[in-house]
Amino acid sequence: MFSWLERNPFFFAVGVFIVIAFAGLIEIVPDFAQQSRPVAGAKPYTLLQLAGRQVYIKESCNACHSQLIRPFKSETDRYGMYSLNGEYAYDRPFLWGSKRTGPDLHRVGNYRTSDWHANHFWDPPAIVPGSIMPAYRHLYKNVTDLETAYAEALTVKKVFNVPYDKDIDGDGKVDVPLGTFEQAKKQALQDALKVAEETKRKDLVDMVKQGKIPEVVALIAYLNRLK
Amino acid sequence: MNWLSDNVNRLALLGAAAILIIVIGVAAKYFKQIKEGKSEGVLKEETWDGIGEYKNNSPIGWSLAFMGTIIWGAWYWLVGYPLNAYSQIGEYNEEVAAYNAKFESKWANPSKEDLLGMGEGVFLVQCSPCHGIDATGIEGKAQDLTHRLLKNEVLSVIQKGSGALGNPNGQFGYPLGMMPPGLLSGADAEAVAEYVANGFKGNDKGAQLFQSTCASCHGPDGRGQNGMAPNLREYDDAIIKHVLEHGKHGIIGHMPSFKGRLTPVQEKAVATYIRSLKEGA
Repeated sequence: MFSWLERNPFFFAVGVFIVIAFAGLIEIVPDFAQQSRPVAGAKPYTLLQLAGRQVYIKESCNACHSQLIRPFKSETDRYGMYSLNGEYAYDRPFLWGSKRTGPDLHRVGNYRTSDWHANHFWDPPAIVPGSIMPAYRHLYKNVTDLETAYAEALTVKKVFNVPYDKDIDGDGKVDVPLGTFEQAKKQALQDALKVAEETKRKDLVDMVKQGKIPEVVALIAYLNRLK
Repeated sequence: MNWLSDNVNRLALLGAAAILIIVIGVAAKYFKQIKEGKSEGVLKEETWDGIGEYKNNSPIGWSLAFMGTIIWGAWYWLVGYPLNAYSQIGEYNEEVAAYNAKFESKWANPSKEDLLGMGEGVFLVQCSPCHGIDATGIEGKAQDLTHRLLKNEVLSVIQKGSGALGNPNGQFGYPLGMMPPGLLSGADAEAVAEYVANGFKGNDKGAQLFQSTCASCHGPDGRGQNGMAPNLREYDDAIIKHVLEHGKHGIIGHMPSFKGRLTPVQEKAVATYIRSLKEGA
């Protein structure tokens, strides 16, 4: 067999590649498969959070804000526990970002509240002196596109088996319901009303009560989810 | 020849000359060997297409290096990698442990100035995004920390009781428990609220009502009887520590918990700094 390989350099090269790649396979793949599993307690995004995530992408928040806390004392002091791979299991695509013009947002839900965000998006320098973040007042008028968000949720549910409508933590209850579009929309409106009331802005509450979710409400729901 | 006065230049020149001489010497040795050298040693019996090979022992240095590599390999497989492998999280944990140890020894007995400086630093990073860098709460968007209580806050608690603030046992879980709603109403409530918000000054009616209605829990001086009920005069260490650890649902909004983000010394420092902000303090 080896004399045959010596006469066929191409297959010899293939054999060498397999032998070397094997080491990589047994060292890298099992660890990777383990680490990319969702961390315990991770749940997929609700429809409203997913819509907010799409607003986040649409407004290119990731151009200035990262979502990745590195294991350095200086970072964990400021942002909280360093990020784990499994926390991004339901992120498609991940929004790690590569530049920090603004602060990291991976755990912003732990230390900012809905009313803070509502004040801040309206006029950032008034809340954080010296901030160069622009105001995002159009988000208070634009209506969230729930159809696209639902399409994304349904796609990842069917194609990637993301556990919507399933009991994830084993307490006998469905953790993140999705259902039909009508059911999902109803749930999103309920969630949005809660967030809108937390912002203490009457215009936002009124819009949600009319069945229109302002983009800022969806975005705040998404940011509150980042923990 | 000015450049020769520099030691480094002289050294470099010397080095260059040495290299040249050594190269010429070595080259000459090998040329001589090629011209005059004769092969020595014992030939092996086998030949390969007529080409023979001498019997040579392995060089001693090579053999030692080979054996050493085998021994090192066994050590690395069995001990080196499993027990001493680098881990980024491990380095992080060491960094944090070293920092915490240093922090604790350095600030074991902080003076008031230390606490004030540390408190200001922590406040600017962790608190000022909501409470503002001057701690006045950014025009009502968060608690005004330069005052212990504002009139509308006192009124709200008198009307709704402390249970309405979130925790059914009262906001902060003091031994005396929840403050019931509606202890006072109308002009009486207004008078007490004004008296408390004004820093326990002026307003005789409010002072009298406070002594008859509020003092049984909050103490005649409003300082909460050493932790039995909330101190209404100033932000004491206990209330700051409690709010930092549990967060707060007040009439303004929701403050998140900062549990695990600050050390006990830092919490004390924040409380000290906040007390120093009080007007006229």
